[in-house]
Amino acid sequence: MSGYILCRIFSALIVIFGVVFIVFMLIHMVPGDPVEVMLGESASSVDREMLRQTLGLDKPLTEQFYQYLYKLSQFDLGTSLHSKQPVSELLVERIPPTVELTLAALLVAFLMAFPLGILAALKKDRWQDTTAMTFSLLGISIPNFLMGPLLILLFSIMLGWFPVSGRDGLISLVLPALTLGTALAAILSRMIRASLLEVLNEDYIRTARAKGLGTARVIGLHALKNAMLPVVTLIGLQIGALLAGAVITEMVFSWPGLGQLTIESIQKRDYPVVQACILLISTTYVIINTLTDIVYGVLDPRIRLSR
Amino acid sequence: MLAQLFKRTFLAATPLVYSVLISALCIALLSCDSRQSQQAGAVIRLGISSAPVTLDPLQATDAVSSRIIRLIYQTLVEFGKDDRPIPGIASWQQLSLRHYRFTLIKKSVFHHGKPLTARDVKATYEAVLDKKTGSPQRNLLNHIERIEVPDDKTIDFYLSRNDPMFPAFLTIGIVPEDLLRQGHAFNNQPVGSGPFEFSRWPYDTELYLRRRSDAQEFELLTVKDPTIRVLKLLRGELDIIQNNLPPEHIRYLKQQAQIKFLSHSGSNYSYLGFNLQDKITSNLALRKAIAHALDKQKIIYYALGNAAHNARGFFPETHWLGADLKAWDYNPQKALKIMRALGYSEQNRLHLSYKTSSDPFRIRIATIIQSQLKKVWIDVDIRSYDWGTFYGDIKKGKFQLYSLTWVGIRTADIFRYVFHSHSLPPAGANRGRLSDKIVDQLIEQAETEADLNRQAVLYRRLQKYLNTLLAYIPLWYEDNIVFYRQNITGYQLSSDGNYDGLINTIRVSNRSTIKDKTE
Repeated sequence: MSGYILCRIFSALIVIFGVVFIVFMLIHMVPGDPVEVMLGESASSVDREMLRQTLGLDKPLTEQFYQYLYKLSQFDLGTSLHSKQPVSELLVERIPPTVELTLAALLVAFLMAFPLGILAALKKDRWQDTTAMTFSLLGISIPNFLMGPLLILLFSIMLGWFPVSGRDGLISLVLPALTLGTALAAILSRMIRASLLEVLNEDYIRTARAKGLGTARVIGLHALKNAMLPVVTLIGLQIGALLAGAVITEMVFSWPGLGQLTIESIQKRDYPVVQACILLISTTYVIINTLTDIVYGVLDPRIRLSR
Repeated sequence: MLAQLFKRTFLAATPLVYSVLISALCIALLSCDSRQSQQAGAVIRLGISSAPVTLDPLQATDAVSSRIIRLIYQTLVEFGKDDRPIPGIASWQQLSLRHYRFTLIKKSVFHHGKPLTARDVKATYEAVLDKKTGSPQRNLLNHIERIEVPDDKTIDFYLSRNDPMFPAFLTIGIVPEDLLRQGHAFNNQPVGSGPFEFSRWPYDTELYLRRRSDAQEFELLTVKDPTIRVLKLLRGELDIIQNNLPPEHIRYLKQQAQIKFLSHSGSNYSYLGFNLQDKITSNLALRKAIAHALDKQKIIYYALGNAAHNARGFFPETHWLGADLKAWDYNPQKALKIMRALGYSEQNRLHLSYKTSSDPFRIRIATIIQSQLKKVWIDVDIRSYDWGTFYGDIKKGKFQLYSLTWVGIRTADIFRYVFHSHSLPPAGANRGRLSDKIVDQLIEQAETEADLNRQAVLYRRLQKYLNTLLAYIPLWYEDNIVFYRQNITGYQLSSDGNYDGLINTIRVSNRSTIKDKTE
């Protein structure tokens, strides 16, 4: 088991290094110069060159990458080219709102997906199944940039229940969490339905029923437990996706999270901030997936043996 | 516990409703701790479309930062209604061609309690001139040879060349000398002497300022999406929004009873630019055809919600340097005639590329221009890029057509910067690569003219000549428009769209605001 875990951690480190390398190269290769954005057009070429030297942007790309790696090894993410604040401070400001939104979206997704998925599996091919799966289809199909304003129109403008946008108390978390959570709920409920349907035809379920156990006990204690494996994997993947993919939701709801910071930094060509944001998101993604793999291996020994 | 939960789940008659109810329950529980209800009505909120980058007057280049900096800091010089420089906190005398004396005429105190003196002015401008500061303003002021301070109220500027327009460049916010020496972080903890003092900046999208006269707090909240900004205004989460709204939003807001609005003609100049080194767009006849093919009035009416004025040149006619320029009127027949003379026809159409940013409004304008040019046998290929890429391409001359807007242009140095042959990027903003001896001569002649009125005559002559060259096709000056809730009064607009209106803005009654928010 320990060999399997070490192998997973080693793979994760390689992936993270790959991400660091690719992001560094890409952000430096895209057209657009941070010095131009910072100084505007009125600055003299001498001033531009001085700033370029100060920022270390005059050095060859390989040397810049080497320095970046060296600083990274000392947990120094650098300084924002624009605000001059340490990048770590910027991230510390932005992580809580993003984590808050991610957790709330997960909560919304669980609360919707489990009842819907279980109901659809139990009432297969009946109207409840069709309704639940239609809801699921809508959840997947409606993009966040449409879902967000629709929810705002209904709950903020027409009903006046929630604020339109911003991060102003927990009440302001509701609509962004619903927007982000609905799509995840849609995917999860379909996965739960499919897994449950597969498990419900197994012999041990028939045995449990033959022993006289009620539906709730059969589903709760026997079927759901075994149907959870693929669902756990999906949730692991989706947490990473939520962290990275909340950009649109954050923009619509003016939520001061990592997504907004990433987009703004890309537009300003603020290299250190972009690199740090993507590194953070990808590292989280990799850690969650590695943990998922490890948990999966623990739950199902056949998986680690086959590798 | 788990079994009970599932039992309840399955036994529920309408599980669909059940899931919604649980979500609503959790939401209600989460909502108990709302801060908003505690703060409703206390702060006046201005919605802005992009966050300020820095609050350091020595470093700011973007419009939003500059507008906020104006509230926090004071400047030696301001601009009057016709955009002539007028005294800010100092009046001036030109003692010789290269010697200006400024005298502080207003007693001012910095927000940290120290009085503003001539030494603070000297320290500020010396910091701008110091290469280590890396101020983007340095290039404009690098003809300051030295600064002397005979007493606490007097500052002498000695120049290395004649510059009758020199006072117009002294619009940088004055920072306190003591904090400057200590390396204070003005970018996120500004200390000025203006009517507003910095309160807090918890996120770059939420900036709080306090008005010194009555301690009224203001929040400048960044809401990028114009639709969301409008919805927040309607619901009372914002009190004021200004500019950057699509025409349909402007029309909609004008119909809302609880919203008031003001508009003011603006000075921000939108134009269509050409690459004058490109073998196709360098042809003056073609540029004339394009100028005649554009129906600007229709674009202004339909795409800008009639919130713009037709432009003929860099400066509006109300500007003291504004010239009476010939209009390139809409005349598609004339355009077709020119195109025919150039050898094009319905079958043999011209293909041009048009670069623009990825801003939806700019793409919409590009699409309309594409449609109008199609009628004169020009097929336009629109290429939209994110701002960094677009701006980079424009500066490198990788374009045939593009459109941009000059914001906050008030002084005649813009002509050297944009049209002189020595101002090719990165040395300037001659993006179209215009190289014309007469233009260069007129600019140089005007710059060396010591008398302001004679200088104005030369600049007007230059504008007329530039208008015949069509290096730019002037499009429009977008109006400034502000929408605010009924309980807000005192806000006033200016031609450059600054936020100075906040100085006199008050909420009529806090009680009515809370009522508004709960309704």
